[in-house]
Amino acid sequence: MTELPRSTRPRTAPIVPERSVAGRTLMLLIAIMTFLSAVTLGGVVLVQKSAIAWSSDVGREVTIQIKPVAGEVMESNLRLAVSLAESTPGVANAHALSLEESQNLLKPWLGAGLDLSTLEIPRLVAVQLSDPVDADIGRLQNDLKSIKGASLETHAAWRQQLNTMAGAVVVSGLLVLALIVMATVLAIIFATRGAMASNREIVDVLHFIGASNSFIAGEFQGRFLLIGFRGGIVGGLAAIAFFIAIALFAGNIGPTDAGAELGTLFGRFAIGWDGVVGIIAVIPVIAAMTAITSRLTVRRYLAQISS
Amino acid sequence: MIEFANVGLRYAQGPEILRDLSFRIDPGSFHFLTGPSGSGKTSLLKLLLLSLKPTRGNVTMFGEDVTSLDHDRLLLMRRHIGIVFQEFRLLDHLTTFENVALPLRVLGQPENQYRANVEELLEWVGLGERMDAHPALLSGGEKQRAAIARAVIGRPDILLADEPTGNLDPELSVRLVTLFAELNRTGTTIILATHELALLDSFEFPRMVLEDGALVFHD
Repeated sequence: MTELPRSTRPRTAPIVPERSVAGRTLMLLIAIMTFLSAVTLGGVVLVQKSAIAWSSDVGREVTIQIKPVAGEVMESNLRLAVSLAESTPGVANAHALSLEESQNLLKPWLGAGLDLSTLEIPRLVAVQLSDPVDADIGRLQNDLKSIKGASLETHAAWRQQLNTMAGAVVVSGLLVLALIVMATVLAIIFATRGAMASNREIVDVLHFIGASNSFIAGEFQGRFLLIGFRGGIVGGLAAIAFFIAIALFAGNIGPTDAGAELGTLFGRFAIGWDGVVGIIAVIPVIAAMTAITSRLTVRRYLAQISS
Repeated sequence: MIEFANVGLRYAQGPEILRDLSFRIDPGSFHFLTGPSGSGKTSLLKLLLLSLKPTRGNVTMFGEDVTSLDHDRLLLMRRHIGIVFQEFRLLDHLTTFENVALPLRVLGQPENQYRANVEELLEWVGLGERMDAHPALLSGGEKQRAAIARAVIGRPDILLADEPTGNLDPELSVRLVTLFAELNRTGTTIILATHELALLDSFEFPRMVLEDGALVFHD
């Protein structure tokens, strides 16, 4: 074999060969773990955003319900309720739901085409609050005592239930995230120990030519950092693609009633730019975690074989 | 340069492999280390390479008692010692050039700084045309010359060799020991372990003979 000219000589090969670390399997595993982490994170963001948006929407509205009472004129009570509401501090406007609007509200339970004009049903006044914090709900509640059959629904119980549910989903998501991270760390530890054992000859040679433990750990860390980055990018991009697909799917069924109901429940199914940034941030975190875990494992392994 | 005083070595709770070794190796000397298989040659070389600590006695190298040195100081001292093994121990995925340059790379030197030195050394050991070959493509003699080049590229003060001719034919063995002798003339202290009597007889270097864990010097 003749010597290659300097310019054509290949660049210096890495001390820890790429193929010696079970790179492809580990990369796939890290990609899956990143995907699961990102989807969990995205799911948590989605639920939290929807809960905040819903809670805020619900919190901006209170409802006055007036039950039919014998001897009372419903339309006049409705007008009185609207006027009392509008005179309450913190109220933006109040609007009595027409019979038709009330019918629409009952449609999911009673079906379409039902004539409610012959039925005595409770009527509602939707009250929009301009300032949910400072609105004088107590005063309105007190004023409504003058209308027979009137009561005020602030949706507080709903909001509390919603917040509790959203909180439970967020905590569960974070717990799942923690378990995924732990499983990833364990997988990296096993992969690193396997790589160290199969590269024992390289480690021994490096030791006897005077390489420090930190140099050897750095060589392995570099290899694992690369695997972590590749796996993280694959998993992160797959997660972003997953959320885009979900958003498109939800958008496609949007015009239907089912789509509208889903939209009401989950918002736009979009994790938004902050969610995408969160998922992208997962990638370097996973890569760094891979590198740090492998470095610590290598240092411990080297300390064991040096002693 | 190297001084052993009443050194003993045992592995775990086993019997003493080396007993009461007391000797001194002067700078620039060349010694053969010989003895029958299992006499403790490799264990003595490991003590000299600082990869083992004696279970008793004192080892002084470069004026320091190595038995009390911490890991970092031992590492720095080990960089003054080169080692050549019978089984070469070249890294298969690296070229001859990269294998030989490894000790300098480990020290953090950039390639443009060591390239000329490595190429010059490879020319000197007769591997100028084999720089880009991987170990799998080298003959036994070429591998051993590459291993020697790797051991001396960092200009060590001491060069240890553990049966470096064990896998070579007699003619090549003599040529290789001649290479060690040339290195010795440049000032490197050499301890070469071998049990090949014919090879020992071909050179007039002093011999350290190990038998049953005890050491006898023959000038």
